[in-house]
Amino acid sequence: MRWRNCFLLAVSYLFYFTWSLWAAAALAGATLLAFFAGKWAEETKPRAKITTLAAVMILIAYLFCFKIIAILPNNDLAGLAMPLGVSYYTFRLISYVLDLHWGKIKPEQRLTAFAAYVAFFPQIVAGPIQRAGDFLEQVPPPRAAALQGVPRIAWGFAKKMFVADQLAPAVNCVFAHVRGFHGPALMVGFYLYPLQLYVDFSALTDIAVGTGRLFGIQGPENFDRPFTASNIAAYWRRWHMSLTSWLTDYLFTPLRIATREAGRVGLAFSITINMIAIGIWHGLSWGYFVFGVVHAFYLNVDALTAKKRKSFFKAHHSLDSIGNWLGWLVTFHLVAAALVFFRARRVSDAIFLLSHLLSSLSDFGFELEQLVSTTGAHAFAVGITGYALLELAERFRPDQRWMYVKAVSPRWVRWSVNSAVATLVFIGILMLINEGGSKHPFLYAIY
Amino acid sequence: MESLSTAQIVNRLTGIFREVLDEDSLVLRDDLTADQVESWDSLNHIDLIVAVERNFKIRFTTAEITSLKNVGELVNLVQRKLVTVV
Repeated sequence: MRWRNCFLLAVSYLFYFTWSLWAAAALAGATLLAFFAGKWAEETKPRAKITTLAAVMILIAYLFCFKIIAILPNNDLAGLAMPLGVSYYTFRLISYVLDLHWGKIKPEQRLTAFAAYVAFFPQIVAGPIQRAGDFLEQVPPPRAAALQGVPRIAWGFAKKMFVADQLAPAVNCVFAHVRGFHGPALMVGFYLYPLQLYVDFSALTDIAVGTGRLFGIQGPENFDRPFTASNIAAYWRRWHMSLTSWLTDYLFTPLRIATREAGRVGLAFSITINMIAIGIWHGLSWGYFVFGVVHAFYLNVDALTAKKRKSFFKAHHSLDSIGNWLGWLVTFHLVAAALVFFRARRVSDAIFLLSHLLSSLSDFGFELEQLVSTTGAHAFAVGITGYALLELAERFRPDQRWMYVKAVSPRWVRWSVNSAVATLVFIGILMLINEGGSKHPFLYAIY
Repeated sequence: MESLSTAQIVNRLTGIFREVLDEDSLVLRDDLTADQVESWDSLNHIDLIVAVERNFKIRFTTAEITSLKNVGELVNLVQRKLVTVV
């Protein structure tokens, strides 16, 4: 059984070595630090708090160093480019040390299993951020059911190629020349970027979770139909869930506990710090910072009005469905507005885009045609249709329905459906080969 | 400090939960978790804890709060705290 952990570790480090030797050494160093900090904290109980605090501070400093190097002008430390997935694995290590300190888990005795957890290659590029306890109880992984990951991987690639990459040209064009466009084109960027980012990132999560399954590991989910949320707090429970639940557990809740006597002020303070942390976790830039501040504002308003809204709708039951629709509409627009800061090259570009969204709307058809003819009408149509199909598929989950139907269907029905799906996948692969592969890198593989 | 039976603690906790979460008909079970109650989320979780602390005149540590998994564990924790206060 032990060799399976060694195998996981070897495959993961091999993957990492191909990217950079020194970064692999840094990964190993950080892993050893957390592993032994956990052991020391356990063995020297009275000083456990100091050991834990020191380990967490070192890991945060380690992450910040790379984030700062990444924004240095004329990067003299170019050789020290951001190690692949450093934001993800540092968070995994911090959660391990804190979970030990809070008595949620016991110190891991198997260094191989622990190192495999930190470096697990399907999750190192862009998460999801799995907790140590959840991963380690699954290793050594069972041999069975590995192939269950394949459909999930295929689904991820399909989403990436047929939806995200088709939306990308128009979105990229708008954000590259924000000041060269008027309302109609800016609206394309405003409305389509959230969809592109969601499909792109969730596709990467599908591939990560599916690949994890191939190795017998069930990873956490990152998305739960985020754009169906009817308020901002619900949106954050459905978007990049492994990151938001991490920050809730290790930043927001401890802050909230520390400030619990301060009532509403403590809540507002904890929300604000938490959302700014979510922003700058992506990188030390003004755009990410403003993204965090904007969401902090949304969430504060949401939290402070939650009780009032609830009692209003309790007293006016007939308005429930209108409230839900309106909530959904407002939430999507708030999310899209904040994402403009996340995506734009400069904060001033973001402000320009948002303040000119409704300009020159009378030229709607003309400007839209101009944008789409530059970036590809075919891609635009495929992307939007693909997104609509994706939402429908996530709403009605034909795959799950098929599992029920399959169990009671005669053989010829099962075979017909299986052959049809296999043919579609085959055609998809042919189209992919024909297109020469994806031209757009995954958006979330840079953190 | 008064000594309370488990049933009395659950009774008082039910009142606190109903008031803080604004759920008039909420019934507490040992295996109840935040995931199962729509209005119980990370934003008001600590409000709930503070209300429990004030009502029972006890104080939890960060480790105790963060490692709670369900209502049953909260009931046990309150019980332990009341014993140590005595």
